[in-house]
Amino acid sequence: MTDPRDTVLTHALQAEGTYDSGKAPAGIRRIPRGVDGLATEHLVVNIGPQHPSTHGVLRLVVELDGEEIMNAEVAVGYLHRGIEKLGEHRRYHQLGTLMDRGDYVSGIHGELAAALATEQLLEVEVPAKAQWLRSLMSEINRVASHLVWYGTFGLDCGAMGQFLYAVRDRENLLDILEAVSGQRMMFNYVRPGGVVADLPADAEQKLRTFLRTIDGYLEEHDALLGGNEIFQKRVRGVGAIDRTTALSFGLTGANLRCTGVPYDVRRDKPYAAYEELQFDVPLGSTGDAWDRYLVRMEEMRQAVRMIRQCIDGLPEGDVMAKVPKVLRPPAGEVYACVESPRGELGVHLLSDGSDTPYRFHYRAPSLFAMQVLEEILPGQLLADAIMLIGSVDVVLGEIDR
Amino acid sequence: MLPDETVVRTTLSGVTQAEVSTSTLGVVVRIPADDASSALAALKASSLDFIMLVDLLGTDTGEEVEITYHLRSLTRDEDLYVKCVLPYEGVLHSVWNVYASALLPERETAELFGLTLAGHPNPARLLTVDDTEPLLRRSVAIRTLEEVRDR
Amino acid sequence: MALDKLMGEHSVAFVKSEQLFDWARRNSLWYLAFGIACCAIEGLMHASGPRFDFDRMGVFFRASPRQADVMIVAGTVNRKMAETVKLLYDQMPEPKWVVAMGACASTGGPFREYPNVVLGVDKIVPVDVYIPGCPPRPESVQYGFIQLQEKIKRQSEERSAARRNRR
Repeated sequence: MTDPRDTVLTHALQAEGTYDSGKAPAGIRRIPRGVDGLATEHLVVNIGPQHPSTHGVLRLVVELDGEEIMNAEVAVGYLHRGIEKLGEHRRYHQLGTLMDRGDYVSGIHGELAAALATEQLLEVEVPAKAQWLRSLMSEINRVASHLVWYGTFGLDCGAMGQFLYAVRDRENLLDILEAVSGQRMMFNYVRPGGVVADLPADAEQKLRTFLRTIDGYLEEHDALLGGNEIFQKRVRGVGAIDRTTALSFGLTGANLRCTGVPYDVRRDKPYAAYEELQFDVPLGSTGDAWDRYLVRMEEMRQAVRMIRQCIDGLPEGDVMAKVPKVLRPPAGEVYACVESPRGELGVHLLSDGSDTPYRFHYRAPSLFAMQVLEEILPGQLLADAIMLIGSVDVVLGEIDR
Repeated sequence: MLPDETVVRTTLSGVTQAEVSTSTLGVVVRIPADDASSALAALKASSLDFIMLVDLLGTDTGEEVEITYHLRSLTRDEDLYVKCVLPYEGVLHSVWNVYASALLPERETAELFGLTLAGHPNPARLLTVDDTEPLLRRSVAIRTLEEVRDR
Repeated sequence: MALDKLMGEHSVAFVKSEQLFDWARRNSLWYLAFGIACCAIEGLMHASGPRFDFDRMGVFFRASPRQADVMIVAGTVNRKMAETVKLLYDQMPEPKWVVAMGACASTGGPFREYPNVVLGVDKIVPVDVYIPGCPPRPESVQYGFIQLQEKIKRQSEERSAARRNRR
């Protein structure tokens, strides 16, 4: 029995008067029809690099069987700008400017990693006030970065309102960051030896005003997205990563903690003032997207808790150690890492004694989160794939470097 | 924290020629490139419990390419660096079946240093288009001021 | 065009259709949602956010290049991305404009020395407005759009003047 759709197609071709019926013209490929008459063929679809939900210029090539993903391949490199190569031609205090543009959403953490690596080579001690300011700015940046994640994660699931609320709160944070460092995004604030400037007079006031309302706003955000049944149904139980997979793929940060592995660089390899701050490290259990959501929301609350402690406990003193203007660390190799909002952000620095590094390598947590996507996407629906890209929180600037 | 050098030596004694030393980086093991996979497998399975490959990077030393594998044990909170050297157009043997986190970093290192990747499920270029020179080699120069000004 | 004056006995106005179209085009420039790098966060995300509200200027993002008027190139263009930028520009229907946002899109930016980076997106597509900054503040991007609106107005006036002179 002929498929009625075939007949319609044939009629349309006949009506044009150009082709014989029953003979497909060259260039039109008949879709193979399976046993039950349905067209069954795996479709290879390209997502990105221009796409509303790819968090930058990520390209995913997926092989689809209907809506289900059979195979996914990640294609990156659309933002490869040579951060590592250019690091070999910059002075040590300029490495922060390169790191700022790597993970551009959490600039302070990148700068801090580069500064810590240089300080390890120089064996210089950073004054206490600078350590506390570093922690303060890191936690402010963490909330700002998680707000970007929260806003865009909701967008990936189809929600639009939370994005504007997230940007509203982020603007307040950027005001504070701008008051302290002079820039909204490329702070250039943390340098080897300390930080570049003390808090200005109005910064504390701005911070206290912000802290008065942020707890309420964070509850609102959680209720808006997390309390929404549709969001929960989309996110609970989807994209579960188990501990072994997470560890073997090199995941760190919230992506690792959602599986239950309690590793946090701030607590296990403390830097800046984290040894003196009280904070909890939220852990998930099932490793699905819902656990990642909960872990990051709680990280925001803990970050606010740390911001309060930092302002209340800020010591007196210098903000920068006595370091020469042109840094020439002795030859050696070091690795320094920080807990960025995406995971363990590391800088592997090799010095040859001159004023520029010999080798500057950026260990990007998003690169490893990207790898695990290739592992967990097969078997998911396409819509869930978009949601999962959002749930692992990648920033393309640091993947491509 | 630093792992015990003696334990590292004993773990690798039957597997490969290993030189273990301590530097500013930490405990560094130098092994021949061909034994990288078996050495890493031995370290992962040993009592040192190096469960995670944190990072994989290449360095152009001027004469050859040095690959560094950064291993970490979470239970013991210890980090180990395994280094091996490859000639300039050499072959990088993948360690992805020991540590899956090597998948993308190996592609990137092979591409940016001009190495050939072997034993990898997808050895294609990661970051650059075809016919791009191995950009991280010291011999590849960056643009000069004149080139940029006369763009 | 002060619309509140078009009331009562003045509720009939005569304009050239071209003037009307150009006024409409200027005041509803929809940009392609295409953020390459860091500038996308400032210029696309924050500029469209609640504080800097791009929507009050009629500017709004569209996901598909077929529905967009402006392409804001926000970020560094490298050799791999160049093809995509050109393809997206070709897919946009006329009339279309390109805004090179930030130092990277203008001339290569802080990454200009790397061989993989294209020294400015004007090597690939014709650019109408350059916005300096790394990253430019959202207000700078909005100022850039105001300049683009002025440019469109000038272009339409130049077109009319050229037609008058030809007669």
